[in-house]
Amino acid sequence: MKLRVQYMAQLRAVVGRAEEEMELSEGGSLADLLNQLATTYGAASSHFVTEARQARPSLLIVVNDSAVSARDAATTVLHTNDVVTLLPPIAGG
Amino acid sequence: MSHLPELTPDERSRYEWQLWVRDFGEEGQRRLKQATVLVSRIGGVGGSAAMQLAAAGIGRLILAHAGNVRLNDLNRQLLMTTDWIGKPRVESASRRLHDLNPHVEIETIAENINDSNAAELVSRCDVAVSAAPLFAERLLMNREAVRQRKPLVDSAMYELEGRLTTIIPGRSPCLSCLYPEPPPNWKREFPVFSAVSSAVGSLAAMEVIKLIAGIGEPLTGRLLTFDLRDMSFRTVPIARQLDCPVCSALSP
Ligand SMILES: [Zn+2]
Repeated sequence: MKLRVQYMAQLRAVVGRAEEEMELSEGGSLADLLNQLATTYGAASSHFVTEARQARPSLLIVVNDSAVSARDAATTVLHTNDVVTLLPPIAGG
Repeated sequence: MSHLPELTPDERSRYEWQLWVRDFGEEGQRRLKQATVLVSRIGGVGGSAAMQLAAAGIGRLILAHAGNVRLNDLNRQLLMTTDWIGKPRVESASRRLHDLNPHVEIETIAENINDSNAAELVSRCDVAVSAAPLFAERLLMNREAVRQRKPLVDSAMYELEGRLTTIIPGRSPCLSCLYPEPPPNWKREFPVFSAVSSAVGSLAAMEVIKLIAGIGEPLTGRLLTFDLRDMSFRTVPIARQLDCPVCSALSP
């Protein structure tokens, strides 16, 4: 299934784009998507997942219009045409 | 409202145009005059927040920021002046804010928020604004604000983006609910235009004014994110984490 992934803040520089379409297997979860991104962008994998390949706890994630806690990533099933926005933590003052 | 300080004729005249704001009026102005606001760091974001709060007539501002003015602060730290390069940031800020509004009491602390000053500084304010470039400082401010049940406006930016949320401990998610770990990839130097940091700081100041005057709907339980690259603004509901080590013990 096709999804749209949007990147904010530092992630745009890290992945080199503001958004892209991703192919995820049917019934895939948000955690699956993050692991797929971690593999695709190997050097930047720590932005998406921890060393244990869990969703990065400090990554803010919005699926369509709802914030989803990283801890719920494994149980959040994604659907065709979902828009997943990834907001890395920022603290610029 | 009898316990609130009276406005002098000079103050009534100075604030005339904001006294016209619906629901605000003289009582709102007297509430601002009575209030103390702590601003953690007065750089691009916090400095602009402090300037807005001084203009609006907050009674007392406590400004915490270590270090001396540097040339490369001046693209965004609007309280700093070129003649003050090499001298303490808080002195430049205090001077500028006094020039803007001599009615505001300015207290300066030439330190950043740390383990030894956080409790005392938070205890003396009614509302706090967090605008430090390090998560350690923001998370410390959050812990202390939650512990003392003080409202906290957390305001942050990066490049052309801004983020803001208002934390009312026990009622809305705290910063640790949002960031349950110290973010490992954040670097303390970040790309910034003053137009962006000032926008975030101005929005933070508006939240403070609303909280103190009791007008409007605070940005609690919601995260505002905006991207000035395409002028998109978005508000996303956010939830408390039931096992948050900082705020989960508090009930509304
Ligand atoms: Zn919390």
